[in-house]
Amino acid sequence: MGQEFVLLVSASVFCIGACGFVIRKNPLIMFMSVELMLNSVNFLLITYSSFLNSLDGQIFALFIMTVAAAEVVVGLAIILTIFRTRHEMDVDHIDALKG
Amino acid sequence: MSSSWLILLFPLAGFIFLSLYGERISKALAGWIGCGVVGASFLASLVALSDLLFMPAEERVGRVHVLYQWISAASFKLDFAILVDPLSVFMFLIVTGVGFVIHVYSVSYMHDDPEYSRFFAYLNLFIFSMLVLVAAADFFFLIVGWALVGLASYLLIGFWKEKTSAVLAARKAFVMNVIGDVGMVIAAFAIFESFGTLSFVEVFAAAPGTFRPNDDQILLITLLLLVGAFAKSAQLPLHTWLPDAMEGPTPVSALIHAATMVTAGVYLIARCHVLYELAPYTMYLIAGVGVLTAVFAGTMGMVQYDIKRVIAYSTMSQLGYMFLAMGLGVYSLGMFHLMTHAFFKALLFLAAGSVIHALDGEQDIRKMGGLQKIMPLTHATFLIGALALAGFPLTSGYFSKEAIILSSYHEDMGNFVFWAIAVLTAGMTAFYIFRVYFYTFIGKTRSPEAHPHESPLLMVLPLLILATLALGGGVLGPWVDEFLGPVFGREVHHHHDGALETIALFVGIGGIVTAALLYFTGKKRMELVKEAFAPLYDLLFNKYYIDEIYDLLIVKPTKAIGAFLEEKAEKEGIDFAVDQIGFQIKEVSRGISVWQSGRVRNYALNMIAGMVVILLFVVFL
Amino acid sequence: MFDLATVFEFTRDTVILTVGITAVLASLGVILCSSPIYCALYLISHMICLALLFLLYNAEFLAVVQIIVYAGAVMILFLFIIALLGGRKEVQENSLERSIAFGLIFTLLGELYLSATVGPTKQIEGTINSEMFGTAKAIGLELFSKHIVAFELASAVLLVAAVGVICLAKFSFTPLKRR
Repeated sequence: MGQEFVLLVSASVFCIGACGFVIRKNPLIMFMSVELMLNSVNFLLITYSSFLNSLDGQIFALFIMTVAAAEVVVGLAIILTIFRTRHEMDVDHIDALKG
Repeated sequence: MSSSWLILLFPLAGFIFLSLYGERISKALAGWIGCGVVGASFLASLVALSDLLFMPAEERVGRVHVLYQWISAASFKLDFAILVDPLSVFMFLIVTGVGFVIHVYSVSYMHDDPEYSRFFAYLNLFIFSMLVLVAAADFFFLIVGWALVGLASYLLIGFWKEKTSAVLAARKAFVMNVIGDVGMVIAAFAIFESFGTLSFVEVFAAAPGTFRPNDDQILLITLLLLVGAFAKSAQLPLHTWLPDAMEGPTPVSALIHAATMVTAGVYLIARCHVLYELAPYTMYLIAGVGVLTAVFAGTMGMVQYDIKRVIAYSTMSQLGYMFLAMGLGVYSLGMFHLMTHAFFKALLFLAAGSVIHALDGEQDIRKMGGLQKIMPLTHATFLIGALALAGFPLTSGYFSKEAIILSSYHEDMGNFVFWAIAVLTAGMTAFYIFRVYFYTFIGKTRSPEAHPHESPLLMVLPLLILATLALGGGVLGPWVDEFLGPVFGREVHHHHDGALETIALFVGIGGIVTAALLYFTGKKRMELVKEAFAPLYDLLFNKYYIDEIYDLLIVKPTKAIGAFLEEKAEKEGIDFAVDQIGFQIKEVSRGISVWQSGRVRNYALNMIAGMVVILLFVVFL
Repeated sequence: MFDLATVFEFTRDTVILTVGITAVLASLGVILCSSPIYCALYLISHMICLALLFLLYNAEFLAVVQIIVYAGAVMILFLFIIALLGGRKEVQENSLERSIAFGLIFTLLGELYLSATVGPTKQIEGTINSEMFGTAKAIGLELFSKHIVAFELASAVLLVAAVGVICLAKFSFTPLKRR
């Protein structure tokens, strides 16, 4: 399969992730959307590592996974803390930094 | 870095130290630090002098000590440099020497002042500024020193900041000085335009080849420089600040408004003599204004009752003599008179300060009298100062003033009018200073409730030193000629003319005798004279109404314009604009702050929008 | 009539096409389901699809990591949290913001694709010449030689994350008062 297909899949998944982050209010699902975006980038890196015959892309993807894992852990801990103090899950209500 | 920099560094260090820590150290320590740095500076000046004396005369000029290059921008180059030649070393010695003596005097004089350390900090600042002025190797640092000196003068005149008159006098002095500064700055621009450099050495070397005598440009430059010189040295018509400056403490009057700062104008002309020689018209103007100021101030001094004001007018008058000498081209005579004047005028001021101190701040000579017995040392030193000022034979003032008066007739530019006015002024000088002397020291005391006493040793000692110099300073005359000769590049021809000298001598002594006659014949004669010349007396007593004329011509219209502008331009223009700017920014911010909704999703949306825009560029450009 | 290579190529393309479309559909499911639990399940299926694609593009090791770390550990974490907080359904409303978002997203998609195909990006064709490519051994050799510093830094990031989470969990915070 050619590179157009790979690019199309990756771009679509990235955009779907971005869209999900914007339209959903549940912080958990927003996080999942972020994971989608990260995964789309990973996918692109790995396919192109194969096209370019270089392992660097795969190594990069590995690091992205590591960072994503760390990010998910911290993010979920924050969500938990917010839930413990406010007892609600709507990100639109968390606007203490409003100007 | 040559050791000459130390001359400048000591007072600067003293100023910085006293302003930072002056409040925390004891009074005595603050005072002695203030004196010590000036003394050290004086010693460094002596070292610089001996350096100069050990080298051949023709190598002494144009020795620029460059610390480092400060600005180098295209054609404009500016070094951090000082010029150490006979002229500046001569000024160093006067400034630091007389300054040191006055510092020592101040230790005792200002002893009861609560803000002792501030006073010494200011004095050190003044010494530093004055040294910058005379050490400058280019017009830039000359102006820096010029302005700093004005600042120090402002701070010191207004030192007693609770006294309204002192603050007003300080403001007046500052404004007058700034008028001069503006002239100097414009002159510097004109010089840079003509020569492409500000360095003294380069400008003076290039000047004779650049201009023919009395070219427009050189006349403009010299006249603008002259504005600065006139303002700083209280020459007509920018003289009004000097008598008012006597509101400051007496040592300040002695140091700044008699011995050093006011002579800056004379120094400036001496320094720029190359330029002035290319502008004979300006020279003529200098001589004219000088002699006019001399007679003008002399007449005003004859009728004042404030002891310090009389001496202040005599300062103006003597400065007039110096300008006369400068205008005639006998620079070293002018500088010599500057030196002797620094000695005897500082002496007179300090002696007057001693009297004022003894009488608890009384300055009106009508309330003094009979101090001869109570204050013998002050009396003796004041008498020496008065004789020197009056040009009594064999005192220092005699040598310097006589020489200038003779030159005013015999030099190329001299004429009979100059000579006559100068001699007349000499007579007036003798009259008014002895009028003060008789009022103050002779006769019976006029204020029985006061209990005057001789001043402490620390105040008398400076008087004695200065008295010695004022008495014997005349012997330095030939040496000054020789020492400054290389700078001015021409020998001063000493004229001898028995008839003229005798006339001048007799006029001087006649002034003293007139004062004595009027005084000793009792009050009646004096009243008669006063009534006989009532209109003239009023005119003189009110200082020719010059303050009032300035008020009417300059201050009142300025105030009216100011009031109008405040109403229209300030409130309705600038204030409105400023308010509106603030108000509109607030409104716009309120509008924009909607974007900071605090909602993560909106931020993300904004990020995506930004990404879209950036990608538009990537794709289509 | 068919040689083996052509058949193999055709099969591979078909599989990639199918799995790729499935992955996109699964990701759509993630953002369109109202219940978080379904979202999580869709995300797991998306990740498994991606793992398959990784395999097809010579990245065996990363495919395994994807399944173990992502579909395994991370998604299990998500499911735990959902279980803890309760998988409440979310009301989806149509607002102006939402339409703007959709508009922007589709523009972005178009732009991304255009920038990838129309712009100066060139098609690159290469061949895999090593048997080892994408294996754990190859990755390990690469990782511990060329990228050792980055690797250590990544471990530091994980450590910091662990400490941060412990802090967040251990100390309670008082709610922030508005102004």
